[in-house]
Amino acid sequence: ILHWQPNQGSEMNSQVLEEISQCVETLNGVKEGSCKTSLTFYKPNLQDQSAVMDFPRDFMGISMPELPNKYFLIIRGQRIVLEADSSILVIMEKLQSYKPKAILNFEGELYKLGDFQIRVIKVVPHQTETLKGIMVEIDYLPISSVENSKQIMKEFIDIWKEVVSKKSLAGEFTHAETNYAEYGLGDNYTSQHTAVQYAAAALTQLIQSSQLRS
Amino acid sequence: MFCYLLQHVEALEILLQGLCGVQRERLRIHEICLKSGPHLGTVASEVRLLCDLEQSEPSWSVRHVGGAMRGAGAEQVSVLVRSMVESKTSKNALRLFYALGYKFDHELLRVGFSFNFYRGAQITVTVASINKMLKLHATDEAVPVTLGIQMVEVIAPATSENYTEVATAMSSFCEYLAPLLHLSKPGVSTGVVPTAAAAAAALMSDGGGTTL
Repeated sequence: ILHWQPNQGSEMNSQVLEEISQCVETLNGVKEGSCKTSLTFYKPNLQDQSAVMDFPRDFMGISMPELPNKYFLIIRGQRIVLEADSSILVIMEKLQSYKPKAILNFEGELYKLGDFQIRVIKVVPHQTETLKGIMVEIDYLPISSVENSKQIMKEFIDIWKEVVSKKSLAGEFTHAETNYAEYGLGDNYTSQHTAVQYAAAALTQLIQSSQLRS
Repeated sequence: MFCYLLQHVEALEILLQGLCGVQRERLRIHEICLKSGPHLGTVASEVRLLCDLEQSEPSWSVRHVGGAMRGAGAEQVSVLVRSMVESKTSKNALRLFYALGYKFDHELLRVGFSFNFYRGAQITVTVASINKMLKLHATDEAVPVTLGIQMVEVIAPATSENYTEVATAMSSFCEYLAPLLHLSKPGVSTGVVPTAAAAAAALMSDGGGTTL
């Protein structure tokens, strides 16, 4: 996942999103459809609010459109990811120990570029139209090994950044490596790896949003 | 519905094999019960983590069991009705719930067998010993809570619209087990079946060909 980092003082707006989408089409990307991943931040339901520091503040849940019967739970600070049947949401509702605090939607347009799949994603708080962030998610379909696909992914990212730079937009794409081993995940890329990336993306967006406000 | 069984487990297995028409499945389930820690939730909550040790790769699920149905409707059915929600999970469930503030309450190991079949409802019969761990999570060192006793449980999923029909199907099925044992709601004493020894002998002598 690459994050769009606007220059200091620049805005995150739909014009930038449109320009980025055009970059995909410049590379002969073919639009294949839309997708929406939802991420929920949870907060503990406490009898005594002063105890809030005793509980994780980065507990998130993720639903992915391509896996409607699954739900992913992440506690980022402790590097825990859990894949569960979507009935886990019913269990959480019955336990009443954690409640949703905020929801971020990652609304993407899916493009196919040869063996690559690109999602151009706008990050939007639930039930609003406010554009909080822009991301690009890149998949290299033939290889499921994280390690073995690193070189080809790096080459693609370099090409992508070059194409974007020609648009002279007020910002750039940044990319941070994820240490999947810390989550107990193996080299074979799975939907749990994707969940970990989206959790990291959500927190990056939160930090970016607060930096833009200040 | 359930009961405790001291003897005739083998005979019961033969009887169930004949009634259900399906292969029995071996059962080895590690059940860890967690309760919410101090301050967490406006009311205390409990969740069970189950690890199926019979699979080549242990598989986990999380289960929430609700309170029993009460009132006139509950008294009219011969089975215990309560909500149960289960979710299969990847292996990090215990770590996740500990990190969320849940605390270990107790654990046990169920070892035995089960039959899963359709007879008016999707019914599961389990016959298992309940074992406790002498050291935390040491399933290889489990010992029976009460030596020689097995628990027989009959359960079936139902909705709020059809639970009376499901209860009827369960009760009808349980009548076929009557020569060996009587099942009832938890908390209701059943006693020993006087014909059990003779019935068991008949089942053991011809491997289930006897009609009881």
